[in-house]
Amino acid sequence: MDFYQGRVLRIDLTEGSVMVEPLNMEWARQYIGGKGLLFRYLLDEVPPGVAPLSEENPLMLFTGPFAGTGVTTCSRLVVGCKSPATGTILDSYVGGSFAPELKFAGYDALILTGHAAHPTLVWIENDAVELRSAHKYVGMGIAQLEETLRRDLDYNAKFMSNGPAGERLLPWACLSTDHYHKAGRGGAGALMGSKNVKAIAVRGTGAVSVGDAKAFLADLRRIHKDYILTPANLWAHEEGTLALVDMVQVAGAMPTRNWSQGQFEGNDSINSRAYMKMRLKKRACSQCALGCRNFHVFGEARGEGPEFETVAICGANCGIGDAETLFRFNLACDDLGMDTISTGGVVAQAMDMTERGIHDFGMRFGDAEGYLAAPELIARREGIGADLALGARELAAKYGHPEIAMQVKNLELPGYDPRGTFGMSLAYATADRGGCHQRSYVQADEILGGSLPPDSLDGKAAVNIHWQNFTSIKYAGIWCEFWALELDEMRQLLRHVWDSDFSDDELLRIGERAWNLSRLFNVGQAVEADTVPARLVEASGAFSDGPSAGRYIGADRFARGLAEYYQLRGWDASGTPTEAKLDQLGIDARV
Amino acid sequence: MTHIMISSKKCTGCHMCEYACSAQHEGAYRPSTARLFADVNPTTAEIKGHTCLQTACAKCQAACPEGAIVTKNITVTISGEFAGKRKLGSTFQGAVLVVDEAKCAGCGLCYDVCPTAVIRAHPERNTAVKCDLCLGDPQCIAFCQNPYVLAVDIKASRADAAVVLGGA
Repeated sequence: MDFYQGRVLRIDLTEGSVMVEPLNMEWARQYIGGKGLLFRYLLDEVPPGVAPLSEENPLMLFTGPFAGTGVTTCSRLVVGCKSPATGTILDSYVGGSFAPELKFAGYDALILTGHAAHPTLVWIENDAVELRSAHKYVGMGIAQLEETLRRDLDYNAKFMSNGPAGERLLPWACLSTDHYHKAGRGGAGALMGSKNVKAIAVRGTGAVSVGDAKAFLADLRRIHKDYILTPANLWAHEEGTLALVDMVQVAGAMPTRNWSQGQFEGNDSINSRAYMKMRLKKRACSQCALGCRNFHVFGEARGEGPEFETVAICGANCGIGDAETLFRFNLACDDLGMDTISTGGVVAQAMDMTERGIHDFGMRFGDAEGYLAAPELIARREGIGADLALGARELAAKYGHPEIAMQVKNLELPGYDPRGTFGMSLAYATADRGGCHQRSYVQADEILGGSLPPDSLDGKAAVNIHWQNFTSIKYAGIWCEFWALELDEMRQLLRHVWDSDFSDDELLRIGERAWNLSRLFNVGQAVEADTVPARLVEASGAFSDGPSAGRYIGADRFARGLAEYYQLRGWDASGTPTEAKLDQLGIDARV
Repeated sequence: MTHIMISSKKCTGCHMCEYACSAQHEGAYRPSTARLFADVNPTTAEIKGHTCLQTACAKCQAACPEGAIVTKNITVTISGEFAGKRKLGSTFQGAVLVVDEAKCAGCGLCYDVCPTAVIRAHPERNTAVKCDLCLGDPQCIAFCQNPYVLAVDIKASRADAAVVLGGA
């Protein structure tokens, strides 16, 4: 079939065996690709109660139908498993050029099962798949690893690799591709490390067919002109995610000094303007006309980033108001292969614990020296790193202050403080993979240009549900966040793939189906209750100054919002999808 | 002299030109067969464009023992933007080198002399393939339309155009 290769590459690392199986096209029709399709496979293959780092937890890499075509932003790959950080389902997205290359090699998806006896390099060259010894690559950072692999294998090969953090099973180790691109959240790197796989390399020289290619090119030229290269999207090129820094600061939603303030006085030193002066050039993912990435130069330190989340959590939240220091911290995390949101969250908390006299980690807010040393220590679990590698929640509990940890389901929170944007409290609490901002963009409606009041939870359950269903179909494409496309554009593109015209309702239904699958998975894995840290909702946690001063959601109002969310979702009072809802969505799986 | 250039400075490394090129010529997306490409080092952001210089180079034509690489006059019409548009306008005459596949024996002598490595063996047919500017509507330019980028450009000289117009 056009767009899909119809093939899944399955590698059993325990047996050292390689198998190609047909893609389940019935599921592909039901879920399109990306998120939903991944979830359907995960639900089928991850046994309830499995330990995330056991060999029974598979590591899955899925593409979407548009990977390897000219559809802008659809080079994204989704990495999935039961999350080592949260125990929830995990879908972690990454751009770069790995997904198209996997398609050109002839596969829609790659599934790794079992556990290799020795450090292993998976080398996929079209139909030839090899498991090689990776002894010589052990310990390498991402930059050296990619450079060496390019030399050893093929200059044009693409990689999904693990840094030192993943080798040592850090719960928030991420997978890296094209050096700076990360499947960041949830610890897929720890799982790959536990499987003893250092890197997956792929080179594909085949084709992805799209039916009548010339007609497809003509339609894409139209879509590019009308829907992509427009002011609504070109901000991604002009500034990229750094454009968000000032907006979140102004709203008083900028996590500052371990979430003790909503604005950072050093903001102007780490915002978009500060970094633009140091920009060498713009970089893009494969098959993306937008090109949002910024490549910066600070003396001999060169590289991409930081993005908004890193600026918020590793900058303001750590009291770091220096662009170069923050840039170097980001580079260190990138090379070690660790998620910057979790790293920054833990470091900020250690600074806070030191300031409060709970435990002396030898670093305080704004202290560049201790801050810059932290990533390496955490990745290697040396010195204070042994403690910090526990993650925010366990670290806080160890020293008797669980209330200080800013996490949901053991995922450190990203850069939008719900006290400045109330709707995000429900977004974090109900996100399928723990405290995540990328499932519901209610903050866009509240503080990033939208017109909903940021200091009210009224009606926000419904807004969150709409966003979650919407992003779930968007992540089937897999379309990137930075293309502000509507259901109509999705439909125009999907018309080329499936011989039918999806209505808006049908598209949202596909998203809703994926969302319910994730809930089924999480219920089956006995994931903890949906909640957020108390200080984000209670009166005692309200800020004393800034634009969001004195505002709080209130525990009762939060509980009512959550109950309303379950009800509108068609779930029972404990948050489990009802039979009626599953039947309505045509979901055959059950807990 | 009419040929495509990729500005290494402006190029973001999205490879969209390669995608479009392969879809246009192969009937499916297959960048490994693209008639132009950009080498991208993700770590350093160093980018180097590889494109055919057509008649301004013509080493392949000189090397071909079969006379299979022939000069073809074309009219170029580009609906989108490109850096050289101010000088050239949207429509102009040019000449490109194309492979006459009936004559090409697949000997590969042209691959060895190409300074930019853009005349290459087709993976299935035993013939050389190369850029022909899509015979007047280059898709690499049509898909490099981000107004802040416009990295894929076209170069042409008036002298060349005059020769062509004179019926060379």
